Amino acid sequence: MAIATLAAAIVTVGIFSFLYRDNPFYRACEHLLIGLSVGFSLVLLWNSVLIPKLLQPLFVEGRLPAMIPFVLSLLMLLRLKSSLSYMSKPVLALVIGSGAGVSIPAMFEARVLRQIAASVEPFGVVGDGSVSALMLLGMLISLVGVVTVIVYFFYTRPDTKAFNGASQIGIYFLMVFFGATYGYTVTSRLTLLIGRIEFLLGDFLHLL
Amino acid sequence: MSKLLSTFSARHLVFLAVLLAATVPLLLNIRLTHTASDETKRFYANINSLPSGSVVLISFDFEASAFAEIKPLADAVLRHCFRQNLRIIGLSLFAEGTALGEQTLSRIAIEKGKTYGIDYVYLGFRPQYTSAILAIGESLPKEFPTDYFGAATAAMPVLSGVINYDQIATVISITDGGMPTYWVDYAVTRYHARLQTVLTATMATSLYPYVSSGQIQGLIAGLKGAAEYELLLNEAGGGGRGLLAQSVSQIAILAIIIVGNVVGYLGRRRKWQ
Amino acid sequence: MISRLAWIATLVTGLFMVAQYFIKTDATNAVYTTLLDYYQIIFAVSMIVGGIGLLKQHSLKVQRSSQQRRYSLITIAAILFMVIAAVIFGTGAASPYQWAFNNLQAPMQATTFSLLAFFVASAAYRGFRVKSAPAFVLALAAVIVLVGKSGFGEMVSQQLPAIAGWVLNNPSTAAKRGILIGVGIGSVATALRVILGIERSYR
Repeated sequence: MAIATLAAAIVTVGIFSFLYRDNPFYRACEHLLIGLSVGFSLVLLWNSVLIPKLLQPLFVEGRLPAMIPFVLSLLMLLRLKSSLSYMSKPVLALVIGSGAGVSIPAMFEARVLRQIAASVEPFGVVGDGSVSALMLLGMLISLVGVVTVIVYFFYTRPDTKAFNGASQIGIYFLMVFFGATYGYTVTSRLTLLIGRIEFLLGDFLHLL
Repeated sequence: MSKLLSTFSARHLVFLAVLLAATVPLLLNIRLTHTASDETKRFYANINSLPSGSVVLISFDFEASAFAEIKPLADAVLRHCFRQNLRIIGLSLFAEGTALGEQTLSRIAIEKGKTYGIDYVYLGFRPQYTSAILAIGESLPKEFPTDYFGAATAAMPVLSGVINYDQIATVISITDGGMPTYWVDYAVTRYHARLQTVLTATMATSLYPYVSSGQIQGLIAGLKGAAEYELLLNEAGGGGRGLLAQSVSQIAILAIIIVGNVVGYLGRRRKWQ
Repeated sequence: MISRLAWIATLVTGLFMVAQYFIKTDATNAVYTTLLDYYQIIFAVSMIVGGIGLLKQHSLKVQRSSQQRRYSLITIAAILFMVIAAVIFGTGAASPYQWAFNNLQAPMQATTFSLLAFFVASAAYRGFRVKSAPAFVLALAAVIVLVGKSGFGEMVSQQLPAIAGWVLNNPSTAAKRGILIGVGIGSVATALRVILGIERSYR
């Protein structure tokens, strides 16, 4: 048997051993996983970003503007020294500020305007004969769902019967969403389990 | 032995039921007959409608944790794209997806007799997905002057004429998380990219609003989606192979829900009495 | 002084990014693409800071605790192995770096998540007990999707997958859309608070 398959099988069983209870074998695998993941990502970031976008332009090609991100990077590294970590604040602020700026128009259009439009646009074709009674029912239910769920999350709403009733209906829509998501999540997780069993029975034990 | 047995609880019985439900059907090697859903047919038709030579950008936005579910989906979609003679640009916005994406793309390309640099290219990893998605919208050649292996991309025929999303027929985000929402926010909204997604079942309910709004043009999800796609392609794969095990396990979960309710009801009745 | 500089950086870059969405000139595009490059670099450096921080934390554990020492040593050794292996042998398909990824890291990641299959099943046993009307709706939606989207769904009835599809595309999508709109508005409001310095998460 290939040593690679054996290694994969040992760590697979190690992680599965948690199902019985927490144990040293599982703990060892867990810590190995953390270390490998961090090491893997550090190397990838170094090779994919820091060399081509920072070190090569500055030290190989001698491009002076690359000094700016180099200085910003050095400031970020000061986070490792607690007495100097405050120096990294402007760098973080730069990233957070621009992240916020870039998200405002994009999110407002993609998640608010387009979604509101999608809730009401289908009603525009109701008269042209392409919408069946069942489709119309679905459209109406969807519209009620969107409105009542928004009302449910509207915490400063007036304490009136209409708003509270709408909020109650919103709960039922949320339950449908969470139930459906649970159904799909179970499906997903079972697939991952089947994948590992396929590995153990097939690649490792050659039973499949 | 009795000490060992005493540590087992109802929880362990549930675990055992799930384990058996997932294992026994795999040993039986039976393939379920099924048909493709409208959702999968739409995705398939979208790829089928692309003219030969069209550019498809495939982003492998997943971690190794979900690879068992992603692999049959990715295999099926890549097979279809190569069969249609589409030019494939692969990249990843997730660290672990980078290695797995490269392995998957290369494996299917070799299977279909495709040539690196002419029919497909793998550009590798970019972190900070917002800026990576936006940067491709400005200039893909500038963002990726070299590929994953360090080779210059400028002279590669597969990238000839590709500047930004305008030359890309469709972006396909193969994902186990919420990445399609970022592709919608930044590539679709800002650069009018055409987006489809291939994803784990658990994420599907969160993305249906984007499908019905037209921001995502096609979606296939989970092992069932993979099995349906394999059916449309008429090529065997991991989806069809695992479908029986998945279906039996789903029914086992249903049985667990029912048993849980019966046990709960009997417990409550005992309390009332 | 540094805090004020940080706030100015947030305000200027935030406003620039909003303006750049609408005003697209060669000059604004040049600044914008340069900034995008910087973010990737800063992100990579911050990840490296995180990695070094983790190494420091586990080194401390090795020095302090006798019980956890062996586990921390494993983590430290694994990080160093990946980095040193990549430096010496590279990251090619046949490198020890890739070998460790393919045969240790990826199987462990996959197995860790596959454990969730058992825990969601356990949750199904205890968490789906129908004690109220909303709990009934929750369980019903889960059952419809579970059966309708399983391979057996269409064997039982051709209508089952259609019903599951209807539930997913109508009430479920409506609820998620309501959440999306709410989250969208909330995100925009938070982003504005950040730019205006009301929210200072970099502190």
